[in-house]
Amino acid sequence: MSVSSSRKITQILDAELDKLVTLPVIWLTLISTFIINLALTIAFTSAALQWGAGTQSILKTGLASMGYLQAGFIILGILATCSEYTGGQIRTTLTTIPWRGVQLFTKHMALAIMTIPVAFIIAASGVLYAFMMMRDTAVAIEIDKLIKTLVGVTGYLTLTTILSAAIGAFLRRTTSALMVLLSYYFVVSPLVRDFLPSSKNYFPDTAGSSMYMLPSSDEINVLTPMQGTGVLLLWTLLFIIVAIAFYRKRDA
Amino acid sequence: MRAFNAELSKLFSLPGIWLAFLIGAFAPAIIATLDSMAEKEDIIAGASTRLSEVGYIGLGLGVQGIIILGVLAVSSEYLTESSESGGGNQITTSLTVISSRFHFLLAKAGAVTVISVFLSIVAIITTVSATNLILGEYAPAFEASKLIGAVCYWTFTALLAFGITILTKSGIIPLAVLMINSSVVTVSYLLTKVTKLAFYLPDMAGLDMFMFTSDRFHTPFTGGLIMFAWVAVLFIVAAIVFHRRDVAS
Repeated sequence: MSVSSSRKITQILDAELDKLVTLPVIWLTLISTFIINLALTIAFTSAALQWGAGTQSILKTGLASMGYLQAGFIILGILATCSEYTGGQIRTTLTTIPWRGVQLFTKHMALAIMTIPVAFIIAASGVLYAFMMMRDTAVAIEIDKLIKTLVGVTGYLTLTTILSAAIGAFLRRTTSALMVLLSYYFVVSPLVRDFLPSSKNYFPDTAGSSMYMLPSSDEINVLTPMQGTGVLLLWTLLFIIVAIAFYRKRDA
Repeated sequence: MRAFNAELSKLFSLPGIWLAFLIGAFAPAIIATLDSMAEKEDIIAGASTRLSEVGYIGLGLGVQGIIILGVLAVSSEYLTESSESGGGNQITTSLTVISSRFHFLLAKAGAVTVISVFLSIVAIITTVSATNLILGEYAPAFEASKLIGAVCYWTFTALLAFGITILTKSGIIPLAVLMINSSVVTVSYLLTKVTKLAFYLPDMAGLDMFMFTSDRFHTPFTGGLIMFAWVAVLFIVAAIVFHRRDVAS
């Protein structure tokens, strides 16, 4: 039976989305990310209120937990690709979809489709909480700035998820991928940032963070949000291409 | 004793352990080197406020290797093989051979302890020599009592990771939580800003064993005691859960 190629892509996308949605671990990760992020935001907000009410910006407080929040999305990305390799699901997948490059690329697409709304909701919930608590004391908030920042955060989290998924597809083991990514994001990167500030513009997380950082923060952000997006996008595409190249050559 | 040897041999045959060794032996030295390089001018000018921390900061932040060790020791037992090769768990084999669960746990914890003591000594040697290499005569003296504190901190961290992983069975949660909490600004540190109780968290208390910073809260001995109490409580809980749990579940 011959199927037209656009229909084929839609079907693959459908299948990949279906696989993601039916994975219980994914839901567990998302729900715990949401709860932990909210708890952290509550802690940060109360700390901000204690230290100096009125001087803190609502957006900054609402997004203070970003550093930790991204861990949830890194785990999400890794789980999405590595779950194929626990058990033999990958062989079933490749039997039904024998085009490897297309399959892996569509998987990343499906992941992006799923991540965008979730990232937006989680980021917005933090800002909303900070807004409710600090409404009376903090400086007024501008709607267009708020929307710009939230879009930036959503984009950053989505691209980080995709990047983690690509690395997960490359390494194929949940634990190793987790080890590599977490030690990069939480240990190597902060140290490099401190000791070699000039390298800030080139790495995926630091460049990406200019997508949502406010220009009013005390550091000088050399990159505009668009440039930051570009750098992060380049890294993500690079990792996807490497993952696909290996995926096509390798024994499943 | 044979169970202990078996656990050691199982640990050494895990590929991930070698990564843990690599990180554990060199990450602290690299962090200490970078920090010493950044602080060098201040120290030579005699203006550094952080002289007492130099070098030790590597040992405080470079615990990732030991976390991986503790987590992998347990999570590898629960890794399900693919359905084509029988879908087996190593834990069923292990418990067939050593039928006393308590002994099994003890042997495994013993193996983890021995390896982490060994690894922390290696890390201390590399860190101290890296600091001395960079700072030369300005390097602070490394006191034995503090170094013993660092060994205790590493070992307790490994055992904490080990105990948490027994409870969760999968390595993802403990690895994520502990790695994030070993980052430069830890969650526990932020919590200390909110409540004084956070000083009693295991990592904050444990760091007081050898990091003499301005905002320390405990004496080295009580810090060690608090961290040990956490490890002990966690082990009792883990042992009870492990004892009562169905292996296959």
